[in-house]
This record gives sequence, C-alpha cells and structure tokens, in this order.
Amino acid sequence: MTELATQATGLARPDQTRQHSPLYFAWRRFADNKAALGAGVVLVVLILMAIFAPLITGTGGNEQAFLTQSLAFPSGEHWFGVDDLGRDFFARIVYGARVSLGIGLSAALFSLVIGLPVGALAGYLGGRFDWVTMRVIELFSVVPPLLAALLLASVTRGGLWAIVLIAALFGWVNVCLLVRAQVKSFREKEFIMAAQALGASPWHVIWRHLIPNSVSPIIVGFVLAIPLAMMLEASLSFLGIGVQPPTPSWGQMINIGMNFIFFYWHMAVFPTLALALTILSASLLGDGLRDAFDPTLKGR
Amino acid sequence: MTGFIIRRTLSMLVTFIVVSIVIFLMMHSIPGGPFDGNEMPLPDNIRDRLMAQLGLDQPLYVQYLRYMWGALHFDFGVPYQSPGETVMGLVAHAWVPSLVLGGSGIIIGAPIGILLGMAAALNRNSWIDYVASALATLGLTIPVFVTSTLLILVFAVWLHWLPASGWGEPKRWILPILAYAAVPLATYARYARSAMLDTLNKPFVTVLRAKGLSERRIIFQHVLRNSAIPMVTVFLPMFVGIATGSIFVEAMFRVPGLGAYFVSSIEKRDYPLEMALMLLISMLFCISYLLSDILYALLNPRIRVDGSRR
Repeated sequence: MTELATQATGLARPDQTRQHSPLYFAWRRFADNKAALGAGVVLVVLILMAIFAPLITGTGGNEQAFLTQSLAFPSGEHWFGVDDLGRDFFARIVYGARVSLGIGLSAALFSLVIGLPVGALAGYLGGRFDWVTMRVIELFSVVPPLLAALLLASVTRGGLWAIVLIAALFGWVNVCLLVRAQVKSFREKEFIMAAQALGASPWHVIWRHLIPNSVSPIIVGFVLAIPLAMMLEASLSFLGIGVQPPTPSWGQMINIGMNFIFFYWHMAVFPTLALALTILSASLLGDGLRDAFDPTLKGR
Repeated sequence: MTGFIIRRTLSMLVTFIVVSIVIFLMMHSIPGGPFDGNEMPLPDNIRDRLMAQLGLDQPLYVQYLRYMWGALHFDFGVPYQSPGETVMGLVAHAWVPSLVLGGSGIIIGAPIGILLGMAAALNRNSWIDYVASALATLGLTIPVFVTSTLLILVFAVWLHWLPASGWGEPKRWILPILAYAAVPLATYARYARSAMLDTLNKPFVTVLRAKGLSERRIIFQHVLRNSAIPMVTVFLPMFVGIATGSIFVEAMFRVPGLGAYFVSSIEKRDYPLEMALMLLISMLFCISYLLSDILYALLNPRIRVDGSRR
C-alpha cells in the first residue's frame, strides 16, 4: 500500500513516517509504565518457576523428607524452613504457585469462553437477549461473589475443578460487560453497515469484524480475571472449603500457618508474601494493559 | 422522580425474590442434613419426627413459601447450632462486633482515603501521588486475610504491642479495625483521585481560572462539589468489600461477629442461620443499590430525565 502510493506520487517519503499499528503504540505505552512492566516480568518468572518446579526444588511438594527437622526455621539448606509435617517449605510454596496460577489462568479462560459469546451476542443483537443478559448480570451484582462462592464451594465440597468453575461463574460478568460495550459502540459504525449491506450474515459480522475489533477489552478482561480467580481460590482454601490437602495451596497454608504464628512465623510469612506478590503483579499487569489499550482511561 | 423510584423499587424487589429462591435452592442442595452426623446416630423414627417438627419433610416450594412468610415477620426459625435462642436473637447479639469494627473501619478509612486521593490529584506525579496509588492498588488487590496476617505478625508477634485476637477490651479492637480500614481507604483513595482529576480537566475549570478565581476557591467550591457525585456510587462496592471482608477479619481475629457465624453455619449445615444471614446480606445490598441509585438521580438530574441507569 505504501509502496503503491510512493510510486504513484513519485515522491520519496522519509522512513520515519512509516505507519505503526495501534498495537505498536499500545506496546510503547505499556513499556513506559514501569510498574506494569515489572509486574509482567515478576509474573513470567513465577510462571516459569511453576512450570519447572521439579528442577528448582530438591523434593516434591508433598514429600515428608525431613520429618526429623519438622518446623525447622529457614536456613541455607531449607530456604523457607520446614513445615509441621516435615516437608520442605520452599518446595511447597513453589508447587503452590502451580495451583494458584493454574486455577487463575484456567478460570480466566472459562470466563472468556462464557463471557465473550454472550457479551458479543448481547451487544450485537440488543433487544430481548440483551435485556435478559443484563438482568442476569444484575442478579450477580446483588449477591457478593465471595459469599455465593462460599455457599457453592460447600455444596461441591471444594476441589480444583469446582473452584475453577465457581471462579468462572463470577468472572464471566466482567468480560461480558467489556465485550458488550465495545461491540455495542462498533455496531453502528459505517463499515459494519457496509458489511451488512453487502449481505454479510450476523455470524460473519460478529466473527470477522466485531470480535477482532474487541481484542483489547478481551485481553484486558482475561488478564483482570486472573487475580480475581486466584483471590477466590486463596480465600476458599483459607476457610478450608477450597483446595484440599495435601495439594499445596497458599490460602490453605496461611490458614495452617496461623496456628503456628507465635513460634514458627515462617509457616505464615512465606505463603502470605507469595500470595500477595502474585496477586499484586497480576493486577498491576492487568491495569497496565488496560491503560495501554485505552489511554483515555489512564489513571483510573 | 416518583416514577423512577417506583420503577427501581419494583425491579429490586423482583431481583431480591429471584435471589432468595436461588439461595433457598442452593442451600437445600448441600449434601447431607442436620441429623446426618456420625457422632450421635438417631433412630429412624426419632429422626423422622424431628424432620417433621422442623418442616423438612414438606415439598420444597412449601418450605420456601413457609420460610418467606416467617421471614416477613422476622421469624427465621431456630439455629441448629444453638437451639436455646432464635436466629433473630443470635443475629441481634452477633451484629454488634461486626458493626463496631466494620463501622470504625469505614469511619477511619474513608476520610483518610478521600484526603489522600485529593492530595494525589492536586499534586499529580509527585511522591504523594505515587504513595496514594500504591496504597490504593495494595488495598484493593491483596486479600483481607493477608493484610490481617501481616498485621498480627508485625504488631502482635514481633513488636508485642497489641493482642493478636479476641473481643472484649477495646485494645483488642485496634488490629481488626486496621484490617477493615484498608478496603475503604484504598477504594476512596483511588476514586477520589480519579473523580478529582476528571473534574480538574473539565473546560469549566479553565474558564474559572481564566476569570481569575483563586485556586482555593476553584477547588473547594467547584471541583470538590462536582467530584462528589461519582464518590457516592463508590460507597456500594466498598460496602460489599467490608461485608465480605468481615468473614475473614473475624475468622483471623477470632471475633464472635456475623462473619464468624456465617462460616460456622456453613460448616455445620445450619440452614436457618445460613439462610437468614444470606437473605439479610442480599437485602442490605438491594437496599443500598436502590439508595445509591436514588441518591445518584437526586444529585445528577440527567439520570432522572432519561430514566436510564449510570
């Protein structure tokens, strides 16, 4: 396109007027945001640690390999000490990252799977479908997610998949609202009308035009759903109706650590810090992405 | 305006009824009943008698209608975990710690948050702006029980300044109140900042400056007043944060409040108490939604005219 234009006018255009894609500008804005960039790096490191957990820990997360040194304080050999059942605490924290991040990512994925089609359809079709969707979302907004999740978790008795589904049940609302708003504002644009006038089916318009134009709210919705799901998992596990032992989960470890807090502080400190660090970086990353994709919202 | 209020009230009523049905059904799908525990096995005929006495042998919709009829008369039945009193009696003494601690949390946290947010908006990109933003992000993202753990560790375990848990002497209230205050502080720091910034960038502020008004008058008489509207609507999410946070704060600090009873009612399958607490909380939410809608319409005439929400 640029070449054709250059040939047609016969003028040499300097290089710096090269067109940049919106994604390039989004990346530039994101890279300027030091907190979000740092959070992204931390998150990548955490994800790598979770994936390669067996390589960086001496023992598995559940091996009671140090029973004789139970409750030992942090040392050169055991960086985070040993827990009450003789397990290396560093290994448990690292394996806990697998649970926390795994639940966060899969719950965000499920939120997307529900929220994207519903939001796109509600935004595009409007009318009765939109009305019903909004009333359902209103129901969700009246019941606080954590309380409802508590009830649901006690119905299902916890477990990994139950928590992922519960988190997705409350996570899809945000994704749906974001996608719906974007689709609704694009529905009236000329190029959509042109596509409709050329006889494009609603399916084609949504799939080829509206969803590609909603990529930024979709990414933002996805990333912001991660810390929410991790928070939900940690809260439920903390109350004992989330991930069941011996599977390591930070929330559950904080709960156990509280019983030892006066004498063996390492049992509470490390899972607390790990959870805070992970949730904080995931939220900062999500906020940074939102600011980068939509600079008009900056600083909210 | 009256039409607007009636419309919102009716829609909230419908929402509340649907929510109550969902809660009721969920409650009854929890596996196991109150007499299924293994510690004290009951003979079949006695169990049947008890079930009939508590109305648990009726079909679900009868149980629901009967329950809601009682609820209208503030009769929520007898909690299984302490049969000596009614649910209302238990709620009546359990809400005191929750209200004292949560209320003080709001009273302390919200003004500090508003001041912090205002200072941040007026001194953009200064150290105070960064401190306010950092506090807001921390307070809004980190779960309450993490803050509570750190508070207990620092002030009770390491410094020995304050007791770690309990209820009674006011000395024991300080840490839970601090834990509660984190949420309103963070919420208001963030929203006061963005509301102020929004207003400061409006053209009318430029006009006021051009007319030569003093900066102090611009901020206190014009900007502050116009930024108040969005801050009213934030009260609701903050209230939600406080109410759900109370479960964890009370579990952490061993406070005998509503949150603690909520958790024990789920563990002990105490249907009447659980149901009453859920209903109370959803009703509170419905009412605060309604109030914030009406307040918003009062403050912002544009909403009243076209009747749409937000």
